[in-house]
Amino acid sequence: MRATGQLELDSYRLAQYTVSCPCYICGGGNNFDAELCRHCYAPMALVHQANSQKIHPRMVAAIGSSGAGKTVYLGMLADMLSKGRDDLQLLARGAFSIGLQERTMAALARCEFPAKTPNEPDRWNWVHCQILRKKLKPVELILPDLAGEALLEEIDHPNTYPVIRAFLGKCSGVLVLIDALRCQAGEADEDFRAMKLLSYLCELQADKKTGWASKAVALVFTKADQCDHCFDDPQQFARRHTPGLYVQCRERLKRHAFFAAGVAGACGYRLEGRGRVHVPLRIEPRGVVEPFHWLLEEVAR
Amino acid sequence: MSVALNSKILHNLPVSWPTWAAGASVPACLALAWQSEQWAAGASGAVAGLGYLAWNRYGRKSGANGSSTDATASFTSLMAAAERDAEPEGDLVQKMLAAGRYSLLLRPQIANNLQPDQLYAAEQALDANMSCVPGGPVIMRPRRFEDMDEDELARNERTVDVDGYFLDRYPVTNEAYLRFVQDGGYEQMNLWDATIWPAVLGFVDSSGLSGPRYWKHGHPTDEKRQHPVVGICWYEAAAYARWAGKRLATDPEWVKAGAWPVVADGAPPQQRRYPWGDALDRSLVHVWGSGRDDTTSTFGRPLGASVGGVQELVGNVWEWTSTSFGVWDLANLKIETATPMRSIRGGAFDTYFDSQCHLHFQSGESPLARKHNIGFRCAVGFCDVASYQNSSETEEQEAAA
Repeated sequence: MRATGQLELDSYRLAQYTVSCPCYICGGGNNFDAELCRHCYAPMALVHQANSQKIHPRMVAAIGSSGAGKTVYLGMLADMLSKGRDDLQLLARGAFSIGLQERTMAALARCEFPAKTPNEPDRWNWVHCQILRKKLKPVELILPDLAGEALLEEIDHPNTYPVIRAFLGKCSGVLVLIDALRCQAGEADEDFRAMKLLSYLCELQADKKTGWASKAVALVFTKADQCDHCFDDPQQFARRHTPGLYVQCRERLKRHAFFAAGVAGACGYRLEGRGRVHVPLRIEPRGVVEPFHWLLEEVAR
Repeated sequence: MSVALNSKILHNLPVSWPTWAAGASVPACLALAWQSEQWAAGASGAVAGLGYLAWNRYGRKSGANGSSTDATASFTSLMAAAERDAEPEGDLVQKMLAAGRYSLLLRPQIANNLQPDQLYAAEQALDANMSCVPGGPVIMRPRRFEDMDEDELARNERTVDVDGYFLDRYPVTNEAYLRFVQDGGYEQMNLWDATIWPAVLGFVDSSGLSGPRYWKHGHPTDEKRQHPVVGICWYEAAAYARWAGKRLATDPEWVKAGAWPVVADGAPPQQRRYPWGDALDRSLVHVWGSGRDDTTSTFGRPLGASVGGVQELVGNVWEWTSTSFGVWDLANLKIETATPMRSIRGGAFDTYFDSQCHLHFQSGESPLARKHNIGFRCAVGFCDVASYQNSSETEEQEAAA
């Protein structure tokens, strides 16, 4: 049986349904109790946190082709920063913000890579966090783990994934992840895909002062632990192995820098029912925090 | 520079004329290669010349490729050099002790020629620098043993019997490795596997001189002298070990020194997970999260020692062993790699997970990789140390009697 007081509460809730709650990412209207935005599938917790705590998080994207290492990079970064060892500390806001870190770390501890991020936006992991900096104001950030295939699909066929377009339109900075191993092997497609991504960004917001031409872009060569010389001089590596990307960055982006990062010290393959599975032989992160640190400084300027 | 060579001059040269010719062929081949841009042919000629020089200097005296024979050959060549230079034998022994090559002096073939005080000094050096690991069984586990239940683990782990041996108390430091470099270790070709000779010229530091990858101008920075040497491949580690009269430890030997198996009441050996116990204590070890993002001095964490007094088995740098990577894995869980790898153990300053830096975790690396976090330490068997060999023979005779 219902108590009288609850009936009053229900009627109050009914009134709430009449007010549309805009998604923090795409701005589309939703019911106040929706878990995911019905337009773009971003978690509605983002907007509730922004309203209740009166904060307006900045957005930073990690983009790159499928298999470039976005999930591993973001998961590792979140875990390293949440342990508070460096000048930066990460405090996750909301339980959903810890999902990516948990999934990635569980896999890496078993010497496995996490499963590929599915293309469906409702299954992506979003990280909303507060970054604490020594002697500087904390920064609120939203960092989603976008699927690489979905990114490329959106670039080739705009509006396939409205969430990507909406999110990249609001981003203050971006980490472009490029597979250094494929570049070193002379596979030009990695160069082309990175160029496509940058070109898409520049067309999305073409204004020279407020568009991507003047926003911060960190270009990170991932898996650099397996081509060690990439760490010595990432810019030189870019000039040699991704000449198209290098020129495009130089001509179109005012604030960009090249970095090298690696998480696995060495890799091998394990034979499983579904074929050969790429596995790390040990986990030793290198160059993971530096690009993010640079981007944060640029974004917080 | 042109030199008129006649038979008298050739006769009076400090080396024989074929040796001189081989020596001269090295720069000549490189000059020809430079002029004609036939680098492959030039390099082959130069390597052949170097190979002849090495064979002429050491190879004639050395036999098989075993570490014992190589070490003896190295000593023999040193003795020969000393005789040529009319250097007193005492000075040579002192030099070898100062260079940390006491293990060579204690070889059964050599120890009998030493004076009692020289032998005593060499034994003292051995005791100070190496820990005695008694022989016995050690359990070797596959890579993913933590995912297995007890029955599965019991089926898949292997018990290996290890002979008694000595293991370096500390990883080889930059300072110790510098003595090897300054003694011409990169030019003494009998210290190197013959298959790797063409690559030895490429084992250079950041300034192009022979030496570990991160050194500059042939030596380490002053603040890193006591740090473990890194930026050396497996072959460089093996060459150093031969020079020092030692060898790289095998995987079971390495695990035994740290895990210190104890057999009680006929039960399977009880082994430790870390040298000090079963739980990771970040104050005793240098892994990710316990300090700076680089190697540190090998002498800074005495409380992290094993029961036998071996330091820094876990953390700071991974250590090359002589075993191949993956030998303890089950056939269905074998890891395929692009090139055959060598086993590395112990974790390093940047090892992220506790589950990847304990004594039973094996990782692998290409034997030619010169990484920023891989070093090594050396071992020598009881059978290669004169006093231990004699004592074990006596024990056997007594037992027979």
